[in-house]
Amino acid sequence: MDQVRNEVEQVFRNVFGDDELVLRDAMTADDVEGWDSLTHINLIIALEKRFGIKFATAEISRMKEPGQNVGHLIASVAAKRR
Amino acid sequence: MKPSETSPRPLADLALDCLGKNGPDWEAAFCAATAAMRAALARGEDQAVADALRRIALPTLDYTSTQALIRLRKKLRGRVPVRQKVRIAVLGSFTTTQLVALLDLFLFAAGIEAEFHEGDYGVFRQEVLDPGSGLYAFKPQVLFLATTRRDLGCGANLALDGNGEAAAIESELRAWAGLWDAVQRNAGCQIIQNNFVAPASRAAANHELALPGSLGRIVAAMNRAFAAAAPTFVTIHDADHLAASWGRWRWDDPRFFHHAKLPCDPEFLVDYAHSVASLVMAQLGLAKKCLVLDLDNTLWGGVIGDDGLDGIRLGQGTPEGEAFVDFQHYAKSLRQRGILLAVCSKNNEATALEVFEKHTEMVLRRADISCFVANWEDKATNLRLIAKTLNIGVDSLVFADDNPAERLIVRRLAPEVAVPELSDDVTSYVRTLEQHRYFQVLSLGAEDLKRTEFYRADAQRRDEQASAGDLDSFLRSLDMTAHVGPITPMSLERSAQLIQRSNQFNLTTRRKSAAELSALLADDAWISRTVSLADRFGDNGLISVLLAHVDGDALEIDTWLMSCRVLRRGVEQFLLNHLVGEAQKRGLRWLRGVYVPTQKNQLVRDHYAGLGFASAGPAGAAGETTWELTLGESWTPRPNFIKETNHGPSAQ
Repeated sequence: MDQVRNEVEQVFRNVFGDDELVLRDAMTADDVEGWDSLTHINLIIALEKRFGIKFATAEISRMKEPGQNVGHLIASVAAKRR
Repeated sequence: MKPSETSPRPLADLALDCLGKNGPDWEAAFCAATAAMRAALARGEDQAVADALRRIALPTLDYTSTQALIRLRKKLRGRVPVRQKVRIAVLGSFTTTQLVALLDLFLFAAGIEAEFHEGDYGVFRQEVLDPGSGLYAFKPQVLFLATTRRDLGCGANLALDGNGEAAAIESELRAWAGLWDAVQRNAGCQIIQNNFVAPASRAAANHELALPGSLGRIVAAMNRAFAAAAPTFVTIHDADHLAASWGRWRWDDPRFFHHAKLPCDPEFLVDYAHSVASLVMAQLGLAKKCLVLDLDNTLWGGVIGDDGLDGIRLGQGTPEGEAFVDFQHYAKSLRQRGILLAVCSKNNEATALEVFEKHTEMVLRRADISCFVANWEDKATNLRLIAKTLNIGVDSLVFADDNPAERLIVRRLAPEVAVPELSDDVTSYVRTLEQHRYFQVLSLGAEDLKRTEFYRADAQRRDEQASAGDLDSFLRSLDMTAHVGPITPMSLERSAQLIQRSNQFNLTTRRKSAAELSALLADDAWISRTVSLADRFGDNGLISVLLAHVDGDALEIDTWLMSCRVLRRGVEQFLLNHLVGEAQKRGLRWLRGVYVPTQKNQLVRDHYAGLGFASAGPAGAAGETTWELTLGESWTPRPNFIKETNHGPSAQ
């Protein structure tokens, strides 16, 4: 899980162009500078490529809904990798 | 990762490190390069960052990596010198933000600063049809109509019979042509129009193409209709071929269409943008003109100097030998559509030539090679020599060499030359060359197919020149005849092409599009002239274009350009005499000409002085000089050896 978290963090750093970005579970899109609907797509593409996974159409929208945070995202990546 | 204690490597080296690597090695090199570029940018080293960016912004990058480069490119906007600027409008029926950012990246990598206007999502028809729209206020030089098959008015309709289908296609084509005409009327700019991507799924399964009204059949018919009906000012972008070459099921990713209205799997947006960028570059005259080939292990397997004629691997019998034959066929097909071929090899000339003359399996022959250089000099020097001999820019060359060391030397010492990263397997050469889209054109005219013949006849003429003693008797012996006249619908395409491509003999380098040209032909204040030249070695075709407009009692020359193939033949003098006649017929008393210097047109700096024009004041801010010629009694025609004929050129 820590391995996944580190790799997801690396993907976030690439996508948002911020080498110092540190992920916390409670973070939402509002806490990350530049996380809008455009970069959300870039994030999905980068995660899918890095982990060799695929998100379903509905999942892609769910990630940005209220109540969802980075912790859920990391858990869903880890689950897909299994 | 451990911090480096030695002094950091130059950016240029870090960028070159990315070439020829795959997988994790490439990823590490790319990360190191982009991190160093960000640091250099923070230190204000804009030019070094731009140079590095130009090296690594390749069509083979993955989407996520391009985003890092796009961020760097945005910071460089307006901060480094560029070769050209261009205004591009993009109207689409999908989200074009990502595509435009990538297009901008590839154009920047080619030395172009592009300014974009993006239409609102899905309202391209309104923008095109409303003369007061933002599109026209922007005054684009290029309009990219980024449409998809969802924009087809005639969707699948299985109730149609063959006739009904044909009628539907015709009315669909009329609707698109109506849009093109509106753009032509209101903006007069070049249009790049997507064709339609055939779907992977098929209602009629295997029989899709046999069933009138099926979507697959409608799309195929529309694409054929576009290809056949597009006027000169419309370039059809073959999006369908892009999708097919990547694979139709892979191309479509409906998740991203439904989420973000992206036209395809985002990974393919990179190649998509590169494909469109290559058309813009062709329009700006920046396409490559010559493929320079190494010999040993590039055109055949083995080393001719060591292995001998019998020892090299070429031809039927071995898989590798067959693959080299295929690569030669590919090079020959490029030559046949007007791309020059040259050889640059480390060999004794006689040894290298012997293969071309004696090896029975050679597809390329000596006559296919416009410039043959085999010696022991370094290749960067030889490439400059080749460019000079062929009278083209060093940046018009593509250099194909299997040897990584030679490629590196050329990249360092002749960075203007494009050097694709060939692998050690000949079967990958064609794909590697195709991926870069070096030799893109806006349209293929009959002239392109003849061009290489022209260059060869040219070499023959040069031999003649050597034996003819003095220049005058040589020129007289050529029996030159020229046809001069206004640009006609028949010559419009070739004229527009010369305007886009000519760099050296080009007084003002004003890149008017075919659309702008046709607008100006309808204007009485403008005079257009083209010259076609023939001599006893053959027809040179249409080789010079001149545009001028009446300004008071003067005729001002807006554009004067000529193919360098016919330098020093007296065409300038011939055309001037004709132009003076035209000016006098209109009662004008002056000719005025301008020379606008660029990196490439030094050749014509003294063009007007040489024709007897007087300088009309000091140079302007951009170094441009103005020249005037008084058309009084004392003016006498300039001597030349060209006879005017009334016979227009056969097909052009």
